[in-house]
Amino acid sequence: MDKGKKRRREDEEIEAVDSDANHSLSLEQNLSFSDTLVALRMMRAQFPHIDKVSIQPFILQSQLYSSVKDRTQVDRELESLRRDKVVRVFKLNTGQDDHGIMFLDDYLKQVEHVVKRMEEKKQCDLQVFKWFKVHVIESKLEPCIGHQELYALLSLGGRMKDEHISLLINSGFLTHQLIDPSMYWFAIPNIGSILKGLSQGRKELLSLLNRRRYKKMMLAPLEKKHLRLSPLDMRFHLRDLIGSGHIKTVHTPTGIVVRVSKD
Amino acid sequence: MWKEIGDREMGKIRPNSFSSQIKSNRISNLQLSNNKDIVSPHRGSINSLQVDLTEGRYLLSGASDASAAVYDIQRPTNYEGNGLIAKHKCLFSVDKQHGKGHKYAISSAIWYPVDTGLFVTGSYDHYIKVWDTNSTQVVMNFKMPGKVYRTVMSPLATSHMLIAAGTEDVQVRLCDIASGAFAHTLSGHRDGVMAVEWSTSSEWALITGGCDGAIRFWDIRRAGCFLVLDQSQSQLGWRPPVLARSAANKVSVSKSLSAGQNSLGKPRAPQKKYANGHGVKQSTIGRVPAKSSARQRLHPGMLSIQDRATAHYGAVTGLKVTDDGMYLLSAGSDSRIKLWDLESGYNTLVNFEMVRLQTSKAIQLAISQETAQVFVPCMTVVKAFDIWSGKMSLAFHGHYESVNCCWFSSQDQELYTGGNDRQILVWSPCEPITDDMDAGHTKDQDNWSD
Repeated sequence: MDKGKKRRREDEEIEAVDSDANHSLSLEQNLSFSDTLVALRMMRAQFPHIDKVSIQPFILQSQLYSSVKDRTQVDRELESLRRDKVVRVFKLNTGQDDHGIMFLDDYLKQVEHVVKRMEEKKQCDLQVFKWFKVHVIESKLEPCIGHQELYALLSLGGRMKDEHISLLINSGFLTHQLIDPSMYWFAIPNIGSILKGLSQGRKELLSLLNRRRYKKMMLAPLEKKHLRLSPLDMRFHLRDLIGSGHIKTVHTPTGIVVRVSKD
Repeated sequence: MWKEIGDREMGKIRPNSFSSQIKSNRISNLQLSNNKDIVSPHRGSINSLQVDLTEGRYLLSGASDASAAVYDIQRPTNYEGNGLIAKHKCLFSVDKQHGKGHKYAISSAIWYPVDTGLFVTGSYDHYIKVWDTNSTQVVMNFKMPGKVYRTVMSPLATSHMLIAAGTEDVQVRLCDIASGAFAHTLSGHRDGVMAVEWSTSSEWALITGGCDGAIRFWDIRRAGCFLVLDQSQSQLGWRPPVLARSAANKVSVSKSLSAGQNSLGKPRAPQKKYANGHGVKQSTIGRVPAKSSARQRLHPGMLSIQDRATAHYGAVTGLKVTDDGMYLLSAGSDSRIKLWDLESGYNTLVNFEMVRLQTSKAIQLAISQETAQVFVPCMTVVKAFDIWSGKMSLAFHGHYESVNCCWFSSQDQELYTGGNDRQILVWSPCEPITDDMDAGHTKDQDNWSD
């Protein structure tokens, strides 16, 4: 990374953080960052705009691995950001070890948006969401929570009933764990269709590369293609697959080449 | 190399660093051996490899066709290729034709740690057999309630001769060779136990990894496990910072409190958990556990049964403790390898780059202590990672199918790997091939073994 690119990236970072959704930056210039927080902010700014679903930007953990060289450093910085309540980590159900990262402010905005939509539909007993926001989100920083603890924390807000927990599950704030029926994962509400699009988009991108004769393609024209099955853009999926190891990048004199990795 | 020897002679390099430099040079040159070959008589995939701990001379392998074989890896049986390639055929092999042999696949074959007079095999036919090496007869038979996944004996043990066995059953059983009976069972896992290891720092500590994803530490002298590793409790660094323990411990305090509340039913010190001034609500908190659960009182040592922390999101398929007993490496079917600090019990968050690990069978990891590298079988490749940074340093491509087990002999810096393609491959630092035949193939007076 020479100095010219670095300076350009810093300038871009300042404007990107101020103005959302900066699409004009190509992936080739922004493939790697020096720091996890810088990478998180940049990728949040580059999160694609989705029409039908309103969702705040989130970043996948595999995308972080593709952008910062040292994976151990990413894990540790992410852990300290999580403990400082800057970001929140969610386990997604799209794959083996998929984690989604969202800034805490964005998550709270998402929560409010969903609650407001439920108020408009005149559904009853929305105070449980307030208790959830005040007591549970603030104190429980891990991605999962046990039934007893959840009950105890929500009871701090008022009289708890079992229907309240079902309400939380139905509106997408919590999901049951498959292995253990008394533990719940925290989830981002309203994210279901996007996760479906995520897994379909991954498959589509891998099949696109696999269909080629030598299973590789230049990054610049690949980035311009559109994925039919996913609302997320190509850059999102490329970062994700590079970070999880399914795709490798090779630096060549004419640019970066992307190929399917054979293990 | 000559410069290092000169420096050692002058006293500029210390003996330990001199030997570890030479060893790490040799390890970085590891490749498929061009002068050593092990001829395996097995007709099934190789599930377990171990070189004996006393002399480092005999390799024991267990395979899926119910056969176990022993090879002498220091003296070849014959030479081929004009005396350049040393062939190591098996000294003996026990298989289904043996009257008392195993009937199904052998999943684990280990030497008796004290000497090579006995070896122990565990198999999918629910039996653990102890064999006498010199007469190749079965000396003892233990029947297990399920398929045996792994058998281990402690290399440090001076006061017990227990075989710890992990099976399909949720309980880990300890078999005693001295009496021929079971010593006791360890309960706590909620699914079969695929990985078992004795601690390298204490002869009483046992570590087990189950298919439920939990890693438990047991002291075999008392009931219940004393530690369950939780992947969400982590520390930022290889050792925890001296002063910042309180931040990391808040989670563990609340967890143990909630476990305590469930079983003992007393609202003991809930104010420690909710320190933001909700003193009025304490009575409702106190009432909650009594209403929701009417559990019977448990023995305090068995409280750990309710600890459902998982170390991996899938089954734990491999465990290995470093020789100094400070760190544990665990491999899981979620294709992750994690490094745990054993003294604090936290995940050190070192990230080992992995795409896929095999999920249905247990894998055997190997550690090279001087160079701090771990050898991991990842599908058909064996990769060497640096333990502290998680970066891959070497990759060994050679097997035609998935690799199941590997053993690193730190004496000769050789790596032995066995896989589903029924081959045992030897990876050694490359030796120069000399054109002239050595005159040293005559009978060697020093070639003897206990």
